[in-house]
Amino acid sequence: MINRLIEPTTGSIEIDGVDVTTMAAQALRRGIGYVIQQVGLFPHRSIATNIATVPKMLKWDKQRTHERVVEMTELVGLDPEMLDRYPDELSGGQQQRVGVARALAADPPVLLMDEPFGAVDPIVRGRLQDELLDLQNKVRKTIVLVTHDVDEALRVADRIALLNVGGVLEQYDAPDEIMRSPANQFVEQFVGEDRGLRRLGLNLVSSLPYHRGPVVPIDAPPDEGLKAAEQEGVAWVGVLDGDRFAGWASVDDVRAHDRLRDAPRTQPAAHVGPDNTLRTAMEQIMSSNTSVAVIDDGGAFAGVVTLEDIRAALSASPSSNGVQ
Amino acid sequence: MIAEARNPIIRWEWVVDEWDQIRAAITEHLTLTVLAMLLGIVVSAVLAAVALRFRWTMTPITATTSLIYTLPSVALFALLAPVFGNLALTTAVIPLAGYTLLILVTNTVAGFQAVPKSVRDAADGMGLTPTRRVLSVELPLAMPYIMTGVRIATVSTVGLVTVAAIIGQGGLGRLIFNGLSRAFWTPMTVGAGLSIILALTLDAILLGIAALVTPWTRRKAAT
Amino acid sequence: MRALIPTAVEQQAVPRDIGLFEWLFDADTWTGPTGILTSLWDTVVMCTAVTIVATLVAVPAAAVMAHLRKGEVSTTWAVSISRAIPTFAIAALLIPWSLRRGWGFEPWPIFIALLLLALVPIYLTTYNAIRQVPQESIDAARALGYRESAVPGAVEFALAASVILTGVRVAAIQVVATEPIRAFLGGDGLGRYVRDGFGQNNNTLVLGGIILIGGLAALTGLAFVLLERLALPNGVRRLGRQQGENT
Repeated sequence: MINRLIEPTTGSIEIDGVDVTTMAAQALRRGIGYVIQQVGLFPHRSIATNIATVPKMLKWDKQRTHERVVEMTELVGLDPEMLDRYPDELSGGQQQRVGVARALAADPPVLLMDEPFGAVDPIVRGRLQDELLDLQNKVRKTIVLVTHDVDEALRVADRIALLNVGGVLEQYDAPDEIMRSPANQFVEQFVGEDRGLRRLGLNLVSSLPYHRGPVVPIDAPPDEGLKAAEQEGVAWVGVLDGDRFAGWASVDDVRAHDRLRDAPRTQPAAHVGPDNTLRTAMEQIMSSNTSVAVIDDGGAFAGVVTLEDIRAALSASPSSNGVQ
Repeated sequence: MIAEARNPIIRWEWVVDEWDQIRAAITEHLTLTVLAMLLGIVVSAVLAAVALRFRWTMTPITATTSLIYTLPSVALFALLAPVFGNLALTTAVIPLAGYTLLILVTNTVAGFQAVPKSVRDAADGMGLTPTRRVLSVELPLAMPYIMTGVRIATVSTVGLVTVAAIIGQGGLGRLIFNGLSRAFWTPMTVGAGLSIILALTLDAILLGIAALVTPWTRRKAAT
Repeated sequence: MRALIPTAVEQQAVPRDIGLFEWLFDADTWTGPTGILTSLWDTVVMCTAVTIVATLVAVPAAAVMAHLRKGEVSTTWAVSISRAIPTFAIAALLIPWSLRRGWGFEPWPIFIALLLLALVPIYLTTYNAIRQVPQESIDAARALGYRESAVPGAVEFALAASVILTGVRVAAIQVVATEPIRAFLGGDGLGRYVRDGFGQNNNTLVLGGIILIGGLAALTGLAFVLLERLALPNGVRRLGRQQGENT
C-alpha cells in the first residue's frame, strides 16, 4: 500500500510529509526500494542488469550506473564476478542479496521488505538478519519490513507495529516495550511466554547503569581494597592496572601481603563488552561459574555486571537503549 | 518393368537440368511459409493479448482456433479458391495462417502465464510502467514458449504448403503433383524430400534463433 | 504405364451448370463406383483402420514406457505436434515403392502416412495420462494386494482412460481432416469430388465435396463425444475433465 500496489481505501500514507496518493505511482515506486520474499529477480537479465533496473529507468548515465552496481554488489557482500551471471545460476541466499542490492540501487530513502527472509532456512535467515542489521548501520534507511516471524521482528526492528487479523493495530512500540508491557492478551500470546528471556537478548550491557564494583587501583593501600570488598559484601577484590583490569585477588591474600601488587591474582573468567546483549552476559556468568562479569570496553575497564544487575534492569522501566 | 527401370526414384540429370524450376519451387514454398507465419504471428498475438487481458474470452478463442485447426485442409483450400481466385497467394496464405493459430495462441498464452507472479510484482514494485513490464520483462520470459510454438507451426506449415498445390500454389507440392501426373518419380521425390529437408532446416534455424534471443535458458542448461 | 497415372482414375461426370442441391439429391450422385456411398465407405474404412491400428500400437507402447517411467518426453504439445508430420510428402515418397512392389497407389502409402500422423497424439496423450495417475492410487492398488502385473490395468489404465480417449479423438479427427489428400495421390475417398470439381472446373462439385468432408469431420467429433459418454464411468469422465483443465 505504501508504494500503491494496493490503493488505500481510507486514511493516508505520507512519505516526508507528502501523501503518496498524490504522487504518480511509477515515480513513487522508483523512489522506494522493494524487496519481496520470492525475490522476483528478472531471470532473463544478468545480475548487473537486474541491479541497474531502477537507475536505468531514472536515466542515469552508464558510468554512474556501473559504479553504483559495483558499489551495491560489494555492499551486500557479493563477488563482483557474479555480475555477468543470470539469477538461476545463483543460490537462494545470493539471489536475495541481489534483490536487496537492486532495491537499494537508486538510493531510495525508504525500503519496503515483504517477508524478505521467508523462503530461506533458519540458519541462513539468521545470517541474513545480521547482515541486514550491518547494512542498516551503513546505509541508514527507513526500512518497513513485513514478517510473520516474531523473533525476526524483535531482532531487527526499532519499532514494531503488531497487526491482528483484518489489519487491526494491536500495539506499536519498541520491541523491548512490547515484551515488557504487552498492550493486551493478543500481544502477550503473540510474543510468547518466555518474553522475559527474550528481552535479555534485546538489551545491551551498555544499557545497564555501570557499576564499578569492589575494584581498586593496583597501587592503592591494601586496606582500601579490603574496605571495598566489605562494602560489596564479597570476598574478592578487583585490581586495576591503569585502565586495564588486572585480575581478582582474594581478601585473604590481600590481608597476607603488604602491597596489593604482590597478592596473587586470577584472571576474570567472564568478560563482556558494552555491545554484548544481557543474554550473552548472563551466559558468560553462568557458564564460568562465578557471579560477576567484567565489562571490557576496548581494553579499558568499564565496570562489572552481576546477575542482580541484570534482574534489576529487566524489571526497571523502559530501557532507553535497545537493539536498533 | 522396362519402364520402371528407366524410371528410378531419382534421376540426378533431371535435378541438374531442372534446377531453375526446383529453385523457383523452393522460393515459392518459403514465401508461402513465411507469409503464412507472419500473418499467423500477428493474428495470434492479438488473440493471445485479448485472451490474457479478458479472461472470459479464453474459452471461445481456444474453441475457435481448435475448430479451424481441425478443418480438413483440402476442403479449406478448395473453399477459398473461388473467393480469392485459384492462383492468388491469399487463397493459400489464409488457410495456412489459420492452421498456425491454435499452436501459436496456446503457446503464447502459456508463455505469459508462466511468468512468475513474483517477477511481475517486483517489476511493478520497482516502478516499471505496465507497457514496459510487458515488453521488457514478460515478453522475453514468454519467449521460450512462443518460440516453441513458432517452431511447431513452421514445420506444420511447410508440410501443409505442399497440399496447397491442389489449388495451383504450393511450391514443392507442385513438383510432387507434376511427378505424380506423369508417373515420373524424380520431381516427386525431389519435391517431397526437399519439403521435409526444408522443414527440418527451418526448425534448426528457429532453434538457433530461440537460443540467441533467450541466452539465459542456454546458460542454465550448461550449468 | 497408363494405369499408373492418377488422373486416369474414373471421374464422376457431372453437367457444369448443375445446382448444389440438384447434385446432392440426385440418386446417381450417391450410387455406382464413383458415388458418394462408395467414396464415403472408402474414407470411413481407411480412417477407421488407421485409427484402430494407431491405437493398438501407440497405447500399449506408451503405457509400458510410462509405467516404467522411461522415455520422458515433453507432452505439452501432444495435440499441436501431429500436424507437423508432413503426411502429403511422406505418402508421395512411398508411392514409387508401393508401385514397385505391385501394390498400387492404394492403400499403403496413404495408410502409412496417416498412421504416422495418428500415432503422435495417441502416444503422447497416453504417456502423459498414465504419468499423471497419482502415485497414491498406484500404491493403494499395490497395498490392496493387486499383483504387479495387474496394477497397470486396474489403476493406471482405468484412471487414464478418459485422457487416452481424448488422444484417440484428436488423432481420428486429424486423420479424417487429412485423408482427402488421398484423392490427389492417386486414390479416391471423399476428396475425389474436390479433385474432380477442380478437374472439370465445376464449383458445384468442389462445394459438394467440401460439405461432405466437413460433415464427416464434424460427425467424427460428435461420435467421440457419444463414445466417451457410453464407454466411461462418470467418475473417470469427471477426472478426465479435471486433467484436461490441468494440461
